[in-house]
Formats: sequence, C-alpha cells, structure tokens
Amino acid sequence: VNLDLGPEALEYGATARRALEAAGGDELLRTAEREPERRDDVIGSLLAALGAWELTPREHPEELEAAAALCRSAGSVALSYPVAERLSRSSDLDADGLIVVSDANPAAPIAGSALRWTALDAEGRRSAVTACVPTGPARTSSFVGRLELEPLDDRGAGDLALAVVLPCWTLLGMLDRALELVRAYVLDRQQFGQPIAAFQGVQFQLTDAEVERAGLEELAKYALWSIEVGRPEAADDALALRLAAIEAADIVFRVAHQLHGAIGFCDETTLSWLSRYSGPLRRLPFGPAETGDLLMRRLGRSGLVGIFGGGS
Amino acid sequence: VDFDMGEEVAALRRELRGLIADHVPADFLGAFTDDPADLATAQAFCRTLAERGLLCMAWPTEWGGRDASLWEQTALREEMWAHHEPRGAQYMGVNWVGPTILRHGTPAQQQLHLPTISSGAAIWCQGFSEPDSGSDLASLRMAAVRDGDGWRVTGQKIWTSYATMAQWCFLLARTSTGERKQQGLTIFLVPMSREGIEVRPIANMLGPHHLNEVFFDDVWVTPDEVLGRLDEGWSVVQEVLAFERVGIARYARCERLLAWAPGALGDEWDSVPAELRSRWARMLVHARRARLLAYRVVDLQGQGRVRPGDAAAYRIAVTRLDQESASVLMEIAGRLRGRDENARRFVRAVEDHWRYAQASTVASGSIEMQRILLSRSLLAAP
Repeated sequence: VNLDLGPEALEYGATARRALEAAGGDELLRTAEREPERRDDVIGSLLAALGAWELTPREHPEELEAAAALCRSAGSVALSYPVAERLSRSSDLDADGLIVVSDANPAAPIAGSALRWTALDAEGRRSAVTACVPTGPARTSSFVGRLELEPLDDRGAGDLALAVVLPCWTLLGMLDRALELVRAYVLDRQQFGQPIAAFQGVQFQLTDAEVERAGLEELAKYALWSIEVGRPEAADDALALRLAAIEAADIVFRVAHQLHGAIGFCDETTLSWLSRYSGPLRRLPFGPAETGDLLMRRLGRSGLVGIFGGGS
Repeated sequence: VDFDMGEEVAALRRELRGLIADHVPADFLGAFTDDPADLATAQAFCRTLAERGLLCMAWPTEWGGRDASLWEQTALREEMWAHHEPRGAQYMGVNWVGPTILRHGTPAQQQLHLPTISSGAAIWCQGFSEPDSGSDLASLRMAAVRDGDGWRVTGQKIWTSYATMAQWCFLLARTSTGERKQQGLTIFLVPMSREGIEVRPIANMLGPHHLNEVFFDDVWVTPDEVLGRLDEGWSVVQEVLAFERVGIARYARCERLLAWAPGALGDEWDSVPAELRSRWARMLVHARRARLLAYRVVDLQGQGRVRPGDAAAYRIAVTRLDQESASVLMEIAGRLRGRDENARRFVRAVEDHWRYAQASTVASGSIEMQRILLSRSLLAAP
C-alpha cells in the first residue's frame, strides 16, 4: 500500500507550481483574459519548457502521476489553459488533446485554440473537433465554446477514464488553493475586535470544506491508481471521482465565498477568479445530476468495486 | 500510488468471511439484543477467533497475538463491523483496553488482564461520561477519596455500554484538584462485582445493553488497580479517544448493506426510481471516500505520524455517511414487496443500521468535537 504519489511526480508538480508562480502566478489568468489571443502561445510554451507535452500518461505510470501533479499545480493558479485535456490525448490518434463531451451540448474551454482536438462521449464515440464557437468574451465564457464535431469512430471507451480523471486533478488544485485563501483570510480579517477565525460558526464551515477537499484528494489518487494498474472498472472509478469532485467544489467554493464576504466577489481577490474559472470544470461535460445518472447506469446492480461491491 | 493491500490481507478476509459463515447465524444483528443466544454466539465466536490467533492479532505474540500488520488489523475491523460485530463487546477490550494496559500497565496488571482479553473471556465497559460531563469530559466529578492505602469512589457514570454484562470497568475518576481540570484524574481498573456498584439499564432506541447508568457508592479501589500514574490519567484517555475515533470501520457496514440492496430487491430493483438509484450510487462513492480517509489515518499511524485533524476529518465523513446511507437504504427497503428470507434479512439489517446510525454523530466524541479538533488543526500555524 502506498497512498502518496511518487516522489518524482510530487517534485515535478512542485517544480511546475514554482515555474507558474515565477511566470506571474495568478496574473497569468488576468493576462489571458485581457489578451486571449496570446494564451496559447504564452502558457503553451511555458508548459512545453517544463516538458509537459512529452509526458505520456497513457503509457507510463510514473508519467501518469506526474501529469496528475501538474494538473493540480495548474489548478492552483486557475491556469486558463486546457492542460488536463492535452495530457489526456488518445495514443492512437493524431491529435493534440482529448475532451470529454456530452451529446446534448458539446462544449469545452478551448476557444481560440489552434491545436487539433478530439472529442469523446461517455459511450466511447470519438469525433474530430472541427470548430469551437466561443459563447462570449472570456470574461463571461471562461474560454468555453460550443464544439462542432465530425464523427471518427467508436473505439474510445478505453480513453474515457483518464480524460475524466485529469480534469478532476485540476479542480482539486483549485480547491486546495481556495482553502489556502480562505484560511489566510479568516485569520486576518478582524470583526468585533478579533479575527473571524475565532468564531465557531466560521470554524465549522471551514471544517466542512476541508472534509470535502481531503476526501476528494483520496478519491483522486484512487482513480489514478485504477488507471495505472489497468482495472477494468477504471471508468466507473473516474465517474465516481467526478461526482465527488463536483460536490466538493460546490461546498468548498460556497464556504470560501461566504467566509470572504463581499470582497470575495471582487476582481482584486484571487478567490473571485478561481471561482469563475472553476465553473466550466464543474459544469462540463456533465454536471452532478448527469454524472450521477451515468454512474448509476454503468454500475447497474453490481455497485462500485470495493470490499463488498462489484462482485467482491 | 498503490491501494492493493496484497494477498495476505485478501486471504485474511476470506478466512474471516468463512468463519462468520460457519459460526454466526445469517440473521445475526449484534450481540446486544433481547435474545441471550446472540451474546452466546458472540462469546463463542470470540473463542473461535482467539484459538486462531485472530482475536488480538495486533498484539505481540507473547500475549496471544500475532503481530499483524496495520492493514490486516484494518481488514479485521472492516469484516467484523460489516457483519454486525460478532465479537460483541470484545472489540473494546481488544482494540483499546488491552493495548492501553500493554502500554501503561504494571506486569501484574498485564498478567491479570491480557490473557482474559486475548482469550475472549472478559467483557469491559468504559466509565467515562457523567451526567454533567459529556463532551467536556475533563470536567468530571466522580471522586476517589483517599482512605488508608486505597480510595473510596463515589459518583455516577452514564451512557455506559455493556455495563450490565461487563466484568471490568475502565474507570476515570478525580483523585485531586489541580490548576487545570485535566489534572488530578486517575484511571482505575475496577471489577464490576465490587460492592457498591449498581448498574441501571436505560431503555433506548439503539437496542438493549447500549446505554446504562452506573452508580458508585463508596466503592473501595486499591493502588494495584491504578493504571499508569496517579493524577495523570488524562493523557492516557487522550490516547484511548484517538484510537476510538478510527477504531470502528462504520463505512464497511454501509458498503455491505449498499452492495446487498440490488440483490435483496431482485427484479424490483429495476423499478426503483432512477433518482433513488442515483442516490444509492452516490452513497457508494461516499462509502469509498470514507474508507479511503480511514486508510489515510492508518497509513500515517504506520509512519508514526499522528495528525489529529486527519482522524477528525475521517470521523466527520464516516458518521455523516452512516446517517445518509441509512436514509437511502430505508427508502430502498421500503420498496420491498417480495418477502423471501434474503429480503427479510436485508430489511431487518437496514432497520438496525438506521436506528444505530442516528447516534453515530453523538457516540464516542460528537461531530461538533471532531469539527473543533479539525478546525484547530487547520488554523494552527504551519
């Protein structure tokens, strides 16, 4: 039993976070929103310099863990770039990235991207993305665009797990950061002559958020392991993770906003940016109801594999 | 990352499930029912486990254990709790009374108590809570007053599980008054047969034997019944409580009952509303989440790292799971029309789980206390 990512993966994630901080940290997102046409170049080459696009997470377990650690670091600064999606690319297709989509409304935060994208639905059908039509300026769309698709094949079922799991690692990085921010804020902010962290009503909200974040972290490692060792139920584990990730994000951001008060909605606080850019990850490809429905249908009568379920 | 516990743990699970299937009736819902046969089943099962070195497998070999790994101990806790704890009250003796005596007891105390725990013979109860000292345990008032070379104990304990059947009490009483309320507390290992002890059962929704009052009237205790140092019992109690927080694998029973639901419903399962089946799937995710949070605590324990916040986070997650899964399972059980034996057993097990789960956010440290512990650790300087 080993419940931690490998030391190389952890070091890679930490190096990436330092590099992102050095390149501007939270400022990267603000710049991307101001100059959307440059985000591909600026962030894409920053990550290329870290060797991100040489990682082959589908082939090598160590690189899978490094990819997860990188996504988490990217999430911590709400990096406005489809890192997880690029790292999820199918190994048998000539494309730069893979995006899971819902059939109802295929969309993804890749507006303005010049890369070659493949889309994958929950049934394993793959399509070439022929265009991404932005739904508005980045300020309101968070770079999300509606995708136009050209069907390719239905051989993508094996690609699903990784493409669901890595974006959850990005979201985990966002939740880590949201909790760091809210912790610092409640210790600093004074009301009634004391830091608001002294109030139990504040403390208890913080604990609720941390339980969600900590639980998500463990499920994220579990789903990664499931892919790593090629468990047949890896896609179920991925959807289970996604369901927990969306629920956790709802609670953590709700608490973070509530405890920040009005300042948390202002552009001058990082929380506001994190919160806005967590939206697409929580909503796309499927929100909580659809994710739960998909998981339930996949599980049928057998349940999740565990100490009792899944025929164990 | 590697979540595989390995073949030894898998073999242990198979062995335990085999023993349960052979020695515990399929409709067993715990030792503490109105039917004395259930207690007899549990006592016999403890002997069966003890004969195989499984009852106290975490203990050193010289005391009847087999130095089992933390993951084997985890699997044992999971299998036992999932199957309605066929060790009965023994889980307390085995999980924390014995290990605490092993750590803090005198050689004579070890000789007296460890063999009867590791053979499954002795039942213990825990004399901690008092009517005015619940979460604020250190405020307790039961007084042990010096009398010659011993003490006279007078006062009341409450919520004491298994007191009606226990032979021994792990008793916390005040031997002096210090500057802080945590000072001056002493642990005594007292036989329940001692003159002056009276047990009164409290009728309750959790089932018989779970809640009792225990009155001590001028009860004589001796220096060789003191565990650890006089007046310094609080630090031992902290150890005990930390263990109790991860000691019960509540998620395992939730997981077993959830996994059982589709089979119990048979063809009816397909007509369960999709919304309820989605909630069932969600509970499976939450059960896995609680299990993994428990593994995190076990893993840190194995590395000799104790972070009170992790244990508290696990307890918050698992007690909520207990209650939320109980509601979902009750709704599923309510749809049962076909009443074969399997379905009837499922319904009874779910009803028992629901009743017991109502107390899970109160028992062994309320959820509020866990939130206080977790927030302290979150807000502490790094």
